Amino acid sequence: MDRTEALLIADLCEGDETALAPLVERYKRMVYRLAVQITKNHADADDVMQETFIKVYHSIHTFRRDAAFETWLYRITVNEALNFVKRRERQRESTIETTPEAAYEVSTRYRAQLANDPHTQAEKAELRQYVTEAVNNLPLKHRTVVILHEFEGLTHAEIASILNCSEGTVRSRLHYARKKLRTLLKPYMEASAI
Amino acid sequence: MRTKCQKIEYRISDYIDGTLSERQAAAVASHIRSCQSCQREVAALKKTQYLLKNFYVEPDASDAYYAQFTAKLQHRIEQSAPTAVHQRFAAAATRLGWQLRTQIHRYTDHFRPSRFISIRRHALPYYVLALAMTVLIAAPFLLTQVSLYDNGEHVRLPSAALQPAVTLTIQQDKTAVHRIGIRRNINSERTTEIPAVDSGSEVWKFTDEPMVDGYIFAKLRKESSDAVPSVALGIDSELLAYAEFPAQGAIWARLTSRDVVTEDRYALLLLRGINTGQHARQQYERKRSESKGFSQISEKLLDVPLEMLSVAAVYDPIEL
Repeated sequence: MDRTEALLIADLCEGDETALAPLVERYKRMVYRLAVQITKNHADADDVMQETFIKVYHSIHTFRRDAAFETWLYRITVNEALNFVKRRERQRESTIETTPEAAYEVSTRYRAQLANDPHTQAEKAELRQYVTEAVNNLPLKHRTVVILHEFEGLTHAEIASILNCSEGTVRSRLHYARKKLRTLLKPYMEASAI
Repeated sequence: MRTKCQKIEYRISDYIDGTLSERQAAAVASHIRSCQSCQREVAALKKTQYLLKNFYVEPDASDAYYAQFTAKLQHRIEQSAPTAVHQRFAAAATRLGWQLRTQIHRYTDHFRPSRFISIRRHALPYYVLALAMTVLIAAPFLLTQVSLYDNGEHVRLPSAALQPAVTLTIQQDKTAVHRIGIRRNINSERTTEIPAVDSGSEVWKFTDEPMVDGYIFAKLRKESSDAVPSVALGIDSELLAYAEFPAQGAIWARLTSRDVVTEDRYALLLLRGINTGQHARQQYERKRSESKGFSQISEKLLDVPLEMLSVAAVYDPIEL
C-alpha cells in the first residue's frame, strides 16, 4: 500500500467523502475491467462499478488495514459482478454475446490466412479477437478464475479468499478452464508453431 | 500407464504454474519424460497459456465514460447525503473538494513538465474558481469547528485538520533553557547559537523521544497532568516546538494544525529538510521492535505522503 492510498483510506474511514474520488480515479479501470469481463456487458459493468464503489464508501470501516486494499476491492468487485450475473440470469436467460461457434468461425478464417502469411497485423488482430472470445465463452466460474489468475496475476490462495472457496476448488476450476481453452484454441495451435 | 496419466492430469496445471512441491514436480516431470501423451498435453497447455498472455485483449472504456461515471457516482453518494441547509452547504463544499482533489490527483499522476503550460493555460480559471468557491462555502463551517479544548489545558486539533480532534500533549518548556547546541540538520556538525526566543513566545518540547526520518514522531497523551499547553493549534495559530536528540542536538519546527497527523496516541510531525542520522534510525528500529502497537501505528503514519501535508517551515535557529 503506498502512502497516498493509506491516507486516503484513513480519510475515508473518518468520513471525508472527498477521499473517495482519488481512490475511484486510481482503481476505476481495474474495477471496470473485472466487471465487464465477468458480466460481458458494458451496461452491467457500469452498474457493478457503481455498486462496488458505493460499497467501498459505506464499508470502508470494515476494511482491515493490515490487508491489501486492492485485494479487498477485488473481492467486492468480483462478488458484486457474480451476484449481478446471477440476478440477471434469474430474470432472463443470459445473452451470450459471443458464442463458441462464432469463435470457431474466426478460427477457420484465421487458419486460412495463417497459411499465407503468419505475421500480418490483421492476423494478429484476428487472433486476439479469437483468444478473447474463447475466454469469454468459458462458463462463468471458470472464466472468473482464469481472469483472476492469468490476467490479474492473483495466486490460488488470493482467488480462494476472494471467491470464498478452497484452493483446491480454484485449482480444479483453473485446470478445467485451461482444458476447455486448449480445445477452443486447438485449431489455431495445429496451424501454427509457436 | 493410463491410470498414471489420469492421476498426473490433475497436476499438470499446477506443474505448469510451478505451484507443486518439489517432490510432486519431480514425479510429474518423471512421468512426462516417459509419456508422449502427457508431453503433448503439457505442450498444448503451455501454448494455451502463451496465447492467453499474449493475445487476450483486456477490455477498457473511454476516458469520456470514466469521467461520466465519476460524476454519476458522486451524484449517487450525494443522494444519500443529509438534507439540512447547513449540511447541503457542506455537501456542496465536499463536491467542490471532490472535484478539485480528483483534478489534482489526475494532474499529479500524469504530470509531465512539457504539458504543464498547456494544462495551466486551459484549466487554471477552473481551478481558481473551484478553489475560491470551496473556500467561500467551507470557511464558515471550518471556523465553527475550531474551538477546542477540554479545559484550556490541552490542545485540540480542529476537525478541519487532516485528522479528527485528538488532544495533543506537548510539554511546555518552562525553563526555556536549551542546553544542547541547536542544529538545523542533525547530521550537521556545525552548531548554531541558541535562539533568542521572545519572552512572549510559546515554546514547547515534545515529551516523547522523537523519532526522525523527516518527521518528528511524538507520543500523544489524552490525560496528562504535567502537560499544560495553553495555546490552541487553530488554523491561524502556530506552535514553536523543538525536539532534542541527546547526542546530536535539537531541531526546531514551527507547527500548525495541518502539520500534525494523529493516530490514537501518536502524532507524526513532518519536518521538511531534516535528514536522519544513524542514531534516529536505530532509535526508531529499537522502538519498533519493542512494541507491536508502535510498529503498526508508525507504519501507518509514516505512510503519509509528503504532498498531502501542509508543511510549515522548519525553523532555522538563526531566523528565531
